[in-house]
Amino acid sequence: MNAAIGYTAIAAVALASALIGFYGLRFSRTTSDFYVASRTVRPWWNASAIGGEYLSAASFLGIAGLILLTGSSALWFPIGYTAGYLMLLLFVAAPLRRSGAYTIPDFTEARLESPWARRVTSLLVIVIGWFYIVPQLQGAALTVRITTGLPSWAGSLAVAVIVSVIVAAGGMRSITFVQAFQFWLKLTALAVPAVALLLVIGGGSTAELSPADAFPPAAGPGDLEVYRTVSLMVALLLGTLGLPHVLVRFYTNPDGGAARRTTVIVLVLLSVFYLFPTAFGFIGRAFAPDLAATGEADALILLLPDRLIPGVAGDLLTALVIAGAFAAFLSTSSGLVVSLAGVISQDLLGGSVRGFRIAAIASSFVPLVVALATESTGLAGSVGLVFAFTASTLCPMLILGIWWRGLTARGAIAGMATGAVLSGAAILGGAAISAALPGIRPFLEQPAAWTVPLAVLVTVVVSRADRRGTPRGTDAFLTRLHVPEARVRRGG
Amino acid sequence: MTADDVSVTDAATDAVTDAAPARVRVTAPRPGTGTAAASARPVPGRGLAAPAPTSDVAGVYVRSLIRSQLRLAIVMAVGFAAATALFVLAIALVPALDSTFVFGVPLSWLLLGVGVYPLAITVGGLYLRAATRNEARYRSLTEQE
Repeated sequence: MNAAIGYTAIAAVALASALIGFYGLRFSRTTSDFYVASRTVRPWWNASAIGGEYLSAASFLGIAGLILLTGSSALWFPIGYTAGYLMLLLFVAAPLRRSGAYTIPDFTEARLESPWARRVTSLLVIVIGWFYIVPQLQGAALTVRITTGLPSWAGSLAVAVIVSVIVAAGGMRSITFVQAFQFWLKLTALAVPAVALLLVIGGGSTAELSPADAFPPAAGPGDLEVYRTVSLMVALLLGTLGLPHVLVRFYTNPDGGAARRTTVIVLVLLSVFYLFPTAFGFIGRAFAPDLAATGEADALILLLPDRLIPGVAGDLLTALVIAGAFAAFLSTSSGLVVSLAGVISQDLLGGSVRGFRIAAIASSFVPLVVALATESTGLAGSVGLVFAFTASTLCPMLILGIWWRGLTARGAIAGMATGAVLSGAAILGGAAISAALPGIRPFLEQPAAWTVPLAVLVTVVVSRADRRGTPRGTDAFLTRLHVPEARVRRGG
Repeated sequence: MTADDVSVTDAATDAVTDAAPARVRVTAPRPGTGTAAASARPVPGRGLAAPAPTSDVAGVYVRSLIRSQLRLAIVMAVGFAAATALFVLAIALVPALDSTFVFGVPLSWLLLGVGVYPLAITVGGLYLRAATRNEARYRSLTEQE
């Protein structure tokens, strides 16, 4: 592949993101602007920004790679990534916006009136954010290595530096514009090459494998592993509720009703987006099956245009895909860094603008160290594990906190600790344990189906047993979460 | 307080077993249950005023709003999960879909690849309307006060 294409595309995206970021700098003056963009963002802008933030390396590169590698079981990933927003709409969107809190730890503290519950939540948010940034940096490493021939660490380092500079300089107001721009860039960057590839194939390219060999029934939807699929769906559907960078976006809606409308628009945007990685995955199975064998499946989207479309057209499409991939790493990482910096600066650095900047730099460099020290084991899979961890920890606390007035601080802390220990042990120690006991392997590789119910159970049981009872402000707080805004002061 | 507690969880279990349109349980206000006292307290947090209910009747309206919204959300979530499961089961049970190729891709793969999204959007749209209606009903109740 021509390295100049890679350099040009990456530089262009970085420059465009930075320019839009600094353009927004003029607007961010106060702390409130920094954190939630003054809550003046319109639903379409907001939905695009949520999409831009959410569609990560796993969505852009990972899904097509996994379809190539494992077949139709990979189709559940985009379904789960999208339907997670349905769960968010049903259980969280409007009440969370009405809570008036800036971050998840703020929500926890306001609901449970406990600094300890807040600290545990903050810790989880930071851990989740760091481990979610790692696959983004590994995706950047892969992209830079494949497209420019530079060593892997260069890609990770570049993304970490760009993101911390943009976030520290611009805050979130600018990031809303950047993210919205990134969504449409990512969509274009997959849609145009996908359509071009389909036209070329329709014009008579010969596939490397016949349809029957490329799509064997053994890898098809009929051969469903029920436990793994159900557990993956639990992780993806419920994990979305607790993703820190997604939740912080909801505070930029003007009110609860707008938060709901925004979420429905997000559902539509994601549904359209995921058609294209799916198309790439299908084309890859027939036209580039060799990539699965060489362990470069995640690079499928980057390599396919050049393989099937010769000449300048192929080069241009490749540049577009590289730009889109880079936009994916930048946008997800910067969204995560914004929310992490918000949590770290409020809890440790007194909530000042300067603290936010220091925290922004810190929160991009810890995952950089992890990304440089570890090998990528498939982008979609590693992001899936972060979802399982989130679903087992923050999700039960959020849903019970919004809908069950019996939740207490002790119950929430016990539940979050249970979920964190169980799912963390399954994710980190799974390989070692399942070597000794091969029978429980699926349960450790996809733990959400049993860790989430256990976390909920512990939360409920401990809350019930908590002699101190529910916090005094619970009724007032629940009222505030669920009562519609416009005529709120006349309510009663 | 404990009585309210139980009724909220009851609503949750009701909603799973009973998918009928939400019937709102309204109970008479009980003096001395502490709702008014509790809700008169300012909400802790970051300096934001709380729209606290000022009477027990208001508290009852709020609780019935929360219950109907929760029931709606659970019915929608269960409905989505059931419809998805049926859809996938249908694909798995028709082997002919594996050998019917459209543009070189088996129909079964195409259906799983694109079929669930319209379902999610539909459920989302239905929920949006119903949740807004629940809030409108709450508003008309509180405005009659």
